[in-house]
Amino acid sequence: MNQFKYISPKNKEEALRILKEERMNACIVAGCTNVLPDIKVKKLSPKILVDITDIQELRGVDKKKDKICIGPLTTIVELINSELILKEGKILIQAAEQFADPTVRNNATIGGNLVTASPAADVAVPLLTLDALIKVESARQKREVKLKNFFVGPGKTILNDDEMIVEIEFDQSDINKNGYFIKLGQRKAMAIAIASVAVNLEVRQNKIIRIRVAAGSVAPIPTRLTGVEKFLENKEISNELVEEAVNKVSEEVNPISDIRASEEYRRYISGILFKRAFSQLTDSPIHQLTN
Amino acid sequence: MEEYKIELTVNDEKLSAAAKPEESLLKFLRRNGFTEVKCGCEKGECGTCTVILNKKTVKSCIVLALQANHKEVWTVKGMEKLELGRKLQESFVNHGAIQCGFCTPGMILTAKDYMDKNPIPDRGEIKKAISGNLCRCTGYKKIVDAIYDVAVENQKS
Repeated sequence: MNQFKYISPKNKEEALRILKEERMNACIVAGCTNVLPDIKVKKLSPKILVDITDIQELRGVDKKKDKICIGPLTTIVELINSELILKEGKILIQAAEQFADPTVRNNATIGGNLVTASPAADVAVPLLTLDALIKVESARQKREVKLKNFFVGPGKTILNDDEMIVEIEFDQSDINKNGYFIKLGQRKAMAIAIASVAVNLEVRQNKIIRIRVAAGSVAPIPTRLTGVEKFLENKEISNELVEEAVNKVSEEVNPISDIRASEEYRRYISGILFKRAFSQLTDSPIHQLTN
Repeated sequence: MEEYKIELTVNDEKLSAAAKPEESLLKFLRRNGFTEVKCGCEKGECGTCTVILNKKTVKSCIVLALQANHKEVWTVKGMEKLELGRKLQESFVNHGAIQCGFCTPGMILTAKDYMDKNPIPDRGEIKKAISGNLCRCTGYKKIVDAIYDVAVENQKS
């Protein structure tokens, strides 16, 4: 293709049909917060811009039985204002509040952040500790992929070129209600994370029943730190345990040096961010109640 | 040449024009005479291209022109038609919150949209609200003063 084209499908089936026919020549767009800068620097070659913002069924936050279901077109500000997410997955709101700036949050979408697949993706990190499930559709098939298996490399996901995200889902559960997200950036707003950490935790009588830890900007993809999780599961919480876990976090991350920070600093700070997030949760009311 | 005709209102006046698919709202507006919408970084970071689209602020460099079809756009020039817009403009002038003036359009529109929804912000809330608008000249203090002054006035009335 040597020229861009534009089409605005009114429903999901129309969008999937276009993807089936055009495949690599089609590019799904919504908030355009990454697409337009990419077009400007010619990182995105001419395509058919498939604007899905009119597809209402891809919007909204709902509870279906014991699952929280988020449409991919849900904007970051809509996440922040969602009472359901506040109740069931507050950690996602913590990340959303630190995402870019208020104006970009009006337009940027949760689906777009996942598909762009930056190693620093701010909503991906808490969605990992919420153990989110991504529902994907093409004209051929429907499939589900756990978010922990969704990213394959910087800017790359398991999506085929005729597929799109149709829903993001996480469980209604105690562990999902008890999470904390910390992002370190060079500024308090409009900053790509130097490192970010999310922790979701279930504690009973000072013992860690279940824990999920994820980190951003310290590996090729937003990553669950399963080694740290296995180390901490079923252990009694103590200062010594936390210090050991801090070291394990620093060992398990896999950062690079770039313009924002060195590899050494990222290794070091990941452990610190984990400690801060973990401390916030173990001083939290939920922990005190179960003690 | 792929072009699509769109219809929208800008500052309460109808506009009908063609746009390319990959054209940003920023470039479209400037091409159609609305040069008060400034082009800064073109990456969605500096905020000088901010406009109000259907009652929410957007950075026009990262919105497709075609996505403004059948919608309502307000630029800084339109602010003189609106009471809160005029108050903010005056307050910026009175406080010396304009040095080179390049960030000013974005600042005024962001402040206006924020105060439509939250008429009496404190200074911390103001700083957060304008956190997507970069200023290289003023150090932000006079801008925050100017916006806060309007908030104080709102509180009195």
